[in-house]
Amino acid sequence: MRSIFLKELVQYFSSPVFFALACVFVGVAGVFLYNAVAYANLLATQISQYQASGGISVSAVVLRPLFTDMSLLVILLVPLISMRLYAEEKASGTMELLFTYPVSDLKVLLGKYLAGFSVFVLILAISGFNTALLAAATTPDWGVILASYTGLLLMGGAILALGVLASSLTRNQVIAAAATLGAVLVFWTLGWFADSVSSGYLGSALRELSLAGHLSRFFNGMIMLKDVVFYLLFTVFFLAVTLRVLDFHRCRG
Amino acid sequence: MPAEIDISVFVCLETLAGSDAQRNQRMIAIDDLTKVYGSRTVIDRVSFTVNHGEVLGLLGPNGAGKSTIMRIIASAVPPTSGRVRVMNCDTVAESAKTRRCIGYLPENTPLYPDMKVESFLRFAARIKGGKKNGVKDRVRNAIVEFGLEEVRNRTIATLSRGYRQRVGLAQALISDPPVLILDEPTQGLDPEQVYEIRQLVKDLSGSRTILLSSHVLSEVSQLCSRVAVLNKGRVITVDSRENLVSRHQNHTKITIRVGERLDQALEMIEAVEGVISASSSNSQLLNVETVRGRDLRPVFAERIVNSGIPLLEIVREEMSLEEVFMELVAGEGETRA
Repeated sequence: MRSIFLKELVQYFSSPVFFALACVFVGVAGVFLYNAVAYANLLATQISQYQASGGISVSAVVLRPLFTDMSLLVILLVPLISMRLYAEEKASGTMELLFTYPVSDLKVLLGKYLAGFSVFVLILAISGFNTALLAAATTPDWGVILASYTGLLLMGGAILALGVLASSLTRNQVIAAAATLGAVLVFWTLGWFADSVSSGYLGSALRELSLAGHLSRFFNGMIMLKDVVFYLLFTVFFLAVTLRVLDFHRCRG
Repeated sequence: MPAEIDISVFVCLETLAGSDAQRNQRMIAIDDLTKVYGSRTVIDRVSFTVNHGEVLGLLGPNGAGKSTIMRIIASAVPPTSGRVRVMNCDTVAESAKTRRCIGYLPENTPLYPDMKVESFLRFAARIKGGKKNGVKDRVRNAIVEFGLEEVRNRTIATLSRGYRQRVGLAQALISDPPVLILDEPTQGLDPEQVYEIRQLVKDLSGSRTILLSSHVLSEVSQLCSRVAVLNKGRVITVDSRENLVSRHQNHTKITIRVGERLDQALEMIEAVEGVISASSSNSQLLNVETVRGRDLRPVFAERIVNSGIPLLEIVREEMSLEEVFMELVAGEGETRA
């Protein structure tokens, strides 16, 4: 598993894709930070004009919008990280080598998943520079920041599992990324359908399956067990399906 | 688990030094193997064995099932029915063990185009060796053994086909496996590279058991001690090259070159018992076909020399493997039709 993990990292860092992704993600996150701060500034000016009492909450006005925007970035970023994991092996024919090396499909899968996750964590960590800037200017609520990052990591991990599955189904990386993005958007908006579909069990089931629904509590500074478990189960489920797909490929040749 | 490799290598060493019983050890045993894709039967009840130290050539036209057999042995694909045992371990039930004993070079040599030669070999050494110990040494040895010093830091995508093939062989051999499976190892190479790769395979044979596929007949006859001829997913015959040729040879061709009086020599030879046909192709050369199983060269020589005609050359031509192959494959088509 370690050998696969290291190989994937070597491949990530030897291609310009990683650097392009990191630049775009960190740059756009910076723009979002500027927006959030500028908006907070506007609000603060208006509040002081009306001479309302007290200031504004950094958590509510800056952090929550910032992390909500960043969650959209994560949705766009992770499929681009996961797309190559299996599709590339299939396109270059090296899948056959992997199948014949003395290592189980599960270990290959975990090695690949962890490598993708490490790259995601790394890019997210670079964008942590934003938070450092914010901390220099104000005194943010570190609890909210910690919870928000936890939420982003868990959701990113879940999307990555979905992306690995999509990547194992095709030899074309663009198709893998597009399919992942499509599936994520469906899972993201499940909560919206829920209200229109039914108010009964089906509605609440759909709401619980929504990727977005579980994220909002993290951004309010709450880490709840059911949200954590949801993302972990989501991840495990799609990794397990990927294993089945690999087994199927092996038999089909 | 390098321990298993060690044992197998130990067995190999012992066999090299040891008795015939060990020499005849079955390294690969294929028993009633069938592979069906959808409604297409790609491999049809194939059985054969490869003994220790042997180089077996899989010979057949494209689509005969050579690659599929090799992929099943290497555990890339499971069989539909029947089984394959490598060093007495089942390739399905004990595939973790068998995969450790096999070095496999798939058709067209798939490699990671964006990786550097050295880091790819390091990956192969790590994933095959399990433990970290010896990875550095094995990579260094492989780079030297396969002449990859110049390109060790080059990206695989920029390598020539010859170098790619060497990298492919290096990854197959990096853990020193007792069994080697090479699928069309010289395909797409220029003559010089073909020669290099054949030389490498020759050097490897002896201590290792090699299964090699090809549709180049001269390659098979140069490298392999035995040949399995395949057609349409079935094994037509498995035999040594010499046996194949002698078994399928219906008549013997003899070429005689004389200095003068060609017509007189022709008449004389036509009169010999056992000659099927004789003809002259130019002013010096006689082409003679004789019945199988009798060597008439001494008779011809004696008569020509006795009559005072200068005899320059007398050669018996063996039927080529190519001719045998064409005959076998054509014969198979007829019996099926």
